Amino acid sequence: MIQLEHISKRFSGVARPAVDQLSLTVEKGKISVFVGPSGCGKTTILRMINRLVEPDEGTIFIDGKNILQMNPPLLRRTIGYVIQQVGLLPHRTIGQNISLVPELLGWPREKTARKVRELLEMTGLPPEEFESKYPYQLSGGQAQRVGVARALAADPPIMLMDEPFAAVDPIIRMHLQDEFLRVQQHIRKTICFVTHDISEAIKIGDHLVILNEGRLVQSGTPIEILTHPSNDFVSSLIGDDRGSKILDLIRCEGLMDPQAPLVDFPKDNGSRVQAVWPVKAALERMMKNNTDEVMVCREDQPAGILSWNGIKAHINRISGEKQ
Amino acid sequence: MNFDMELFLQAMIHRSPGYIPEHLQLSLIPLFLAVSIALPAAVLVTRPGYRQYAAHVMAFFNAGQTIPPLAVIAVFFPFLGLGYGPALFALTIYALLPIARSSIAAISTVPEDVRDAALGMGMTPVDVLLRVELPLSLPTIMAGVKTAAVLTVSTAVLAALVGGKGMGAIIFAGINFFRPELVLAGTIYIGLLSIILERLLSVVEWFLTPPHMKAARSR
Repeated sequence: MIQLEHISKRFSGVARPAVDQLSLTVEKGKISVFVGPSGCGKTTILRMINRLVEPDEGTIFIDGKNILQMNPPLLRRTIGYVIQQVGLLPHRTIGQNISLVPELLGWPREKTARKVRELLEMTGLPPEEFESKYPYQLSGGQAQRVGVARALAADPPIMLMDEPFAAVDPIIRMHLQDEFLRVQQHIRKTICFVTHDISEAIKIGDHLVILNEGRLVQSGTPIEILTHPSNDFVSSLIGDDRGSKILDLIRCEGLMDPQAPLVDFPKDNGSRVQAVWPVKAALERMMKNNTDEVMVCREDQPAGILSWNGIKAHINRISGEKQ
Repeated sequence: MNFDMELFLQAMIHRSPGYIPEHLQLSLIPLFLAVSIALPAAVLVTRPGYRQYAAHVMAFFNAGQTIPPLAVIAVFFPFLGLGYGPALFALTIYALLPIARSSIAAISTVPEDVRDAALGMGMTPVDVLLRVELPLSLPTIMAGVKTAAVLTVSTAVLAALVGGKGMGAIIFAGINFFRPELVLAGTIYIGLLSIILERLLSVVEWFLTPPHMKAARSR
């Protein structure tokens, strides 16, 4: 768990503080996303957690220990760090780049080599092909996979990620996000993730922290924030399409009608969706089949009917709350 | 003026080669001193917190370049006198600039994200300097050293004027006695020394160049 208490930071030559009396808690094993417009202080906050930036005021605790009293390089070796521009060392091979922190920690060579191969495999880069390549030989997406692998090398309990997927094209970005979420299912790290992209925040985050001008505006789960934005700033950040953004987050079972008659419903797979799928997937099915209804199933068992009218009613209900 | 082939050959074969060790001393010692001053200075002014001084340091080294070596000797003559020492001093000042300029440029163009990531991984500032910044800067630093080497070899000729000896002795003898044969012979040796030194330093540079840059060059 990471706790920031009354943190302030002012950069010389800038009138407004970058971070202003901010307190927040990042829960263990969760992905907390810091989101806000550029200049809101999100990157500064992230860099204070590994002391690349020192706060002017306030204290930061990791698992109850005050990190401002720790040796910065030693602290950083226990925190994974991924940045947008990746920052691989251009004169070292991919293998050497990944083994950077284990090397600093003095791991035995064999243990490091094993870990490098394991991480390359986990991030979908075959070790025999990539281990001895140099960073200039990689595409943007591959480089960022290596960046993530490097951050994970010494198995740090905490990961700081500063817009890690912002520099790659949208298709690769989606791919990297999905992969990242899949990996996080296994590794369960405490992750602080910075982004300016609210859609990414909603997709990735277990917990969102919305920031503006160095202050915390609202924090909560994506659903809480989408359904109850606390002020106009949050609403405008989420955008007018928050109704449809929610469809990505709620499961089909949440909007289906379990009492609907299931008889004479076509038996083919095309009009069935799984209860745990997001509603958006059901919408895609409807459009593809040109129907207004799909059958929601738990494994093979029919559980209810999800209809276009049901979805529409839900969107109206959410959007209507604001008026 | 007629060209005396015999005198020329005699100068080439017998008189000039004796000055080579002296001339190399006059070139390599200032070069070595200049590297040992300019490189630490460049490292110092590229540290965070000192970067605002980089421009001043560059101005100082630039000034060193605009003053002719003879003038440097003249300025320091009252303190250092004439001879070998003042010649070394002036040549060192002269070689500083190309090395300092390329070193400062090289270290400050190491990508900020690479530095940031290296620090963020838990490297100490000394680690970052020795294992990231310097390896990435070496090719550019060496380019400056090569420039300085060629410059010093040719400027060291002037040392003869203040009693510093070297290949300049034969060239100025030629000028004084109107014997172009001597001037030509000395000049040829200066040229050869420059070329050989430059080639040798290029080999050193090749060994110091990180593999990714070699690949970029041969593509």
